[in-house]
Amino acid sequence: MDLFVAAFGFGLVSMSVIAIAAVGFTMQFGITNMINLAYGEVMISSAYVAYYLNRAGFTIWVGMAAGALFGAVFSFLLNRILYAPFLRKGTSHLGMVIVSLAVSLMIANLLLPIVGYFPVSYQEDPGRLIRWGSIALTRDQFIIIGIAVVLMLAIHALLTYTRLGKAMRATAANPTLARNCGIPTQRVIDAVWLITGALCGLAGVVAALDSDSFAIANGATFLITVLAAAVLGGAGQPYGAMIGAVLIGMITELSAAAWSPQYKEVVAFGILVLVMVLRPQGLLAKRGALAAAG
Amino acid sequence: MNTFYAVNLLVYAGVDIIACLALNLQFGVSGIVNFSFIVFQAVGAYTAAVLSMPPDTANGGFQHYIGGYQLPFPIPWLGGAIAGGLLAIPVGFVVLRKLRSDYQAIALLVLSVIANAVITNADKFLGGAAGIALVPPPLSDRIDPNTESYQYLYVGITAVCVVIALVVANRIVNSPYGRSLRAMRERELAAVAIGKNPVQLKMTIFIVGGLIAGLSGAILVGFIQVWAPSVWLYPETIILFAAIIVGGRGNNIGAILGALLVPVGFEEITRFLNNSPSIANLGPPGLIPALQWVAIGLLIIGFLWFRPDGVRPESRRVFEGAPVREDR
Repeated sequence: MDLFVAAFGFGLVSMSVIAIAAVGFTMQFGITNMINLAYGEVMISSAYVAYYLNRAGFTIWVGMAAGALFGAVFSFLLNRILYAPFLRKGTSHLGMVIVSLAVSLMIANLLLPIVGYFPVSYQEDPGRLIRWGSIALTRDQFIIIGIAVVLMLAIHALLTYTRLGKAMRATAANPTLARNCGIPTQRVIDAVWLITGALCGLAGVVAALDSDSFAIANGATFLITVLAAAVLGGAGQPYGAMIGAVLIGMITELSAAAWSPQYKEVVAFGILVLVMVLRPQGLLAKRGALAAAG
Repeated sequence: MNTFYAVNLLVYAGVDIIACLALNLQFGVSGIVNFSFIVFQAVGAYTAAVLSMPPDTANGGFQHYIGGYQLPFPIPWLGGAIAGGLLAIPVGFVVLRKLRSDYQAIALLVLSVIANAVITNADKFLGGAAGIALVPPPLSDRIDPNTESYQYLYVGITAVCVVIALVVANRIVNSPYGRSLRAMRERELAAVAIGKNPVQLKMTIFIVGGLIAGLSGAILVGFIQVWAPSVWLYPETIILFAAIIVGGRGNNIGAILGALLVPVGFEEITRFLNNSPSIANLGPPGLIPALQWVAIGLLIIGFLWFRPDGVRPESRRVFEGAPVREDR
């Protein structure tokens, strides 16, 4: 039983990591209508940016900020240079999926000669263990949970109370109508890529920090977990992605305790298949893309 | 240019052509973005391997796999093809039934990554990460596979399979069924409106594509005699997609052209680069193979931007019985 209580604690950390990543991914999809399969590779690139800063003597928190900045700029440029021109050209959804997969392949292989195959880890003292019953988490893990909670609240506030958030929701619902109402949709979409890119970069560093070590191949595993959470919640819906992250994070950690940690991604995939068979629109589909909560 | 080199090239070309024909039926003709295509090839290869190999206690039991039936030649290949077709049924049932087409694509991509991870971790099932080796070549009990004549025989059998795949693909593309597939690809709602069942159309072509993909895997494993998770990672599917996009979506000649230009060309460039040490040792280890993958990505993006219809675009089919409205 203690094993499962401990796994519950790890589940809290896992779901925090997944939530940051999945909310970014799903907002990209919901507002810009772009399934960005390069998301996992942008995450791992940001993790490496933080790694090199960390190795140069900076703390991991500086690395986290740099990773977020890198993710934001990288995603923004990716959209400006590649995705947006293709979309303007009238490339189909499926064409865009293929383009983004090609981009993912290119990022991974441009990164590979630089970082090599071998797994690396951050030099960071995770802080003392904080115990609460059988749950034992390090200080860093608590900080990760804190970051995730703050970010989720910030996203909620952004979408609900700010002009930019409302403009984003309008753009998601109907871009043409939004433009005709005077919303500068182009700038809104730029802002979305910056914000979601920052989430993506931050998530990459946090995910790398949470695992003992990471390697170039983790880009694909990150992507799968993110896809599972986003699809489970209903793709394009931030609140759905949060729920999806909670479920996927908790279930994969509990299954790792019960079964084998080797099969975490397989469990995530199993959930994905179940969702696709039973409720392909995702848990929160009734609300429409990016509707406000409640 | 010795015999083995030529034979190697021809067999790989045959396998790639068969695979591209199958993927073209799914992606080019029907618009199904099957990102797990390589899994179907892998299933065909594994099935053909375990059907033709002795039980895993042979050879000192150094590897572990299920099956090991030592069946005579055509049966393992047929089994490989059937296994590819059978796998398409549950996958198609989950993916094709009611998902949007972009969801289908990501679901299939995830399937490809996960299937590879599962087979890699399951040591006893199909050899795990090490894979299976010493797969007996077809007919090796009657003809010594190390002779030159056997090599040519293998090319001959591969060529026969290419012809069969091409005939099947051509029949499908030119049939009323092929027309329905194209109608569905162009506008699914319109196809539904004239009474076509898109799920049924997709399911059928998914199974046919799976059968042909399985056959291509069986041919390949009989030739290289080993099979492991590292040869069917998901980027391998992207090479085939690049081939279809470069060659020209929706027509079989384009698929063949793409197969010869991209996967075969890729293979040859790799060989060329590895044979010249001054290039192969350039930069950090793994630089050249990594740059080759970057080149594949650039090829896809470049073609989708500059020439989305490929080298040989699909011919526009016009019904001759009715007056044709000129668009330009």
